[in-house]
Amino acid sequence: MSTEHDHDHSRHTAGPDPRTVKHHTQEQTQVLEDRVKKLEALLVAKGLVSSVTLDKMADIYEHDLGPMNGARVVARAWVDPAYKSRLLTNATAAIGELGFGGLQGEHLVVVENTPKVHNVVVCTLCSCYPWPVLGLPPTWYKSAPYRSRVVIDPRSVLQEFGLNLGESVEIRVWDSSAELRYMVLPERPVGTERLDEEELAKLVSRDAMVGVAKA
Amino acid sequence: MSRLTNPHIAEMTGLASLPRSSGELVFHDPWERRVFALAVSLCDQGYYQWDEFRDYLIAEIVTAEKAAGPNADLASLPSYYESWLAAFEKLLAKKGMTLA
Repeated sequence: MSTEHDHDHSRHTAGPDPRTVKHHTQEQTQVLEDRVKKLEALLVAKGLVSSVTLDKMADIYEHDLGPMNGARVVARAWVDPAYKSRLLTNATAAIGELGFGGLQGEHLVVVENTPKVHNVVVCTLCSCYPWPVLGLPPTWYKSAPYRSRVVIDPRSVLQEFGLNLGESVEIRVWDSSAELRYMVLPERPVGTERLDEEELAKLVSRDAMVGVAKA
Repeated sequence: MSRLTNPHIAEMTGLASLPRSSGELVFHDPWERRVFALAVSLCDQGYYQWDEFRDYLIAEIVTAEKAAGPNADLASLPSYYESWLAAFEKLLAKKGMTLA
């Protein structure tokens, strides 16, 4: 299996956001830094912010993009057949209907689990992931064992996640790329007929939308 | 599935959308993280609604693009967080929190 470093990253990662590639000279950076320091000093002096809170704030946003958007997409598809049909034909547009986007040229594809077909998502080359709906990928998704083994022996890998599928269930493995990001539409659990969309969304786990668990 | 972040901030779209790489926020210099945190903290405390800040941010970006003209080199435009900083300064001034 190849390592993280010897494959073509350009195919798997969208180009850097042009808004972030600007390189300031040292002098320009110093001026910007001073402006921010002045604001911070002012706001700290007024007691409006504390330096401790500020230290944590960016970290929280960096690491807390969660899978809630995906859960809302799934719940909508469970209650609204017309939405589900749009989701399965053009997921990028259907997900956009709910206000989720932010992709830079990648397309989302949603694949549906049925009693006979179970889907599971991987990125064999790196860690392409449908982040606008699922947030940031878990560590195991990026691990070499998952990336290589789920393709060769998905049934055993899913068993290790605690998911035992009958021999009659076909397992389809979807390999993500820069252009195509897959998400699984899990089966609606039995006995949830009385739940509304919001309650249903709470049942949908990240793992179910990657395909290593049931909803 | 509780989350600590404000979806109005984390999931801005279009011109205002936060620069990300595979979903992770992209900060180049420490001042960018700092000014991000300042604007978010004050919103958290209710000094303004996020939409109000976002409108200032979009206005900054649009004004800079217009001033530069249609053929402008991207590198000549202010970076995302430069626009963010300018927007934040203006919003604070409007709220009466000036450096003077």
